[in-house]
Amino acid sequence: MAIIVNLDVMMAKRKMSLNELSDKVDLTLANLSILKTGKAKAIRFSTLEAICKVLDCQPGDILEFKNE
Amino acid sequence: MKSSKTVAILTTMNVLAWITFIGLLIKAGAILFSYLVSVRNPEAAKNLYLDLNLSGIREYDFWHYTGIVSMLVAILLIEAYTAFLVTRVLSKIKMSNPFTLEVVSIMERISYFIFGTWIVVMLYDAQIGWLSKNLQGLEGHYISGEFIFLAGVVFVFSQIFKKGVEIQSENELTV
Repeated sequence: MAIIVNLDVMMAKRKMSLNELSDKVDLTLANLSILKTGKAKAIRFSTLEAICKVLDCQPGDILEFKNE
Repeated sequence: MKSSKTVAILTTMNVLAWITFIGLLIKAGAILFSYLVSVRNPEAAKNLYLDLNLSGIREYDFWHYTGIVSMLVAILLIEAYTAFLVTRVLSKIKMSNPFTLEVVSIMERISYFIFGTWIVVMLYDAQIGWLSKNLQGLEGHYISGEFIFLAGVVFVFSQIFKKGVEIQSENELTV
């Protein structure tokens, strides 16, 4: 897919584990894993907002567009 | 509340589909058995199944009689298999995850089999129509147009269900 999810990069920058993020954004580990591995087909604004708040970043830091 | 009502309706429909399936198989079996008896004893053709009297055709020509009985049995067997497919759909559907490719495939198969019924019913009606020119008191029992209409409706539903599978899969992958 042309949209790349850089969640793992941001998590590494903030030194945060998937379990910790899962607790803080109130999202299941399975759903977070779907997002992290790029299998997700859509992301809710509420989820994006929660992740940005916890990781202290912008949506553009997590999502990236690459023309294939 | 609504979901439990839907589950109850689907369970009832499943039971009815099983009853229909078994009933049609019994009917097909009874006609086939009576036909086999009537091969030796022409009197049996007077009451093949619940006053189904084909003795006129039996006396007119044995092969026409065989053809008519074969088509009747074929129609009943296709209808029975369609009822069986309905039971499969109803047992596969889960309210938490109703749209699956398996259900779509069974629904498509149901529409093909109803279409098949339409073809056999057309042949049956045509043969009855042809025979009625030579024999009095014969009438076609089926309205063949209804079958193709029904096949079309079920096929349309299966295609809508297919779209439902896509939407459900997208919904599952939305975080």
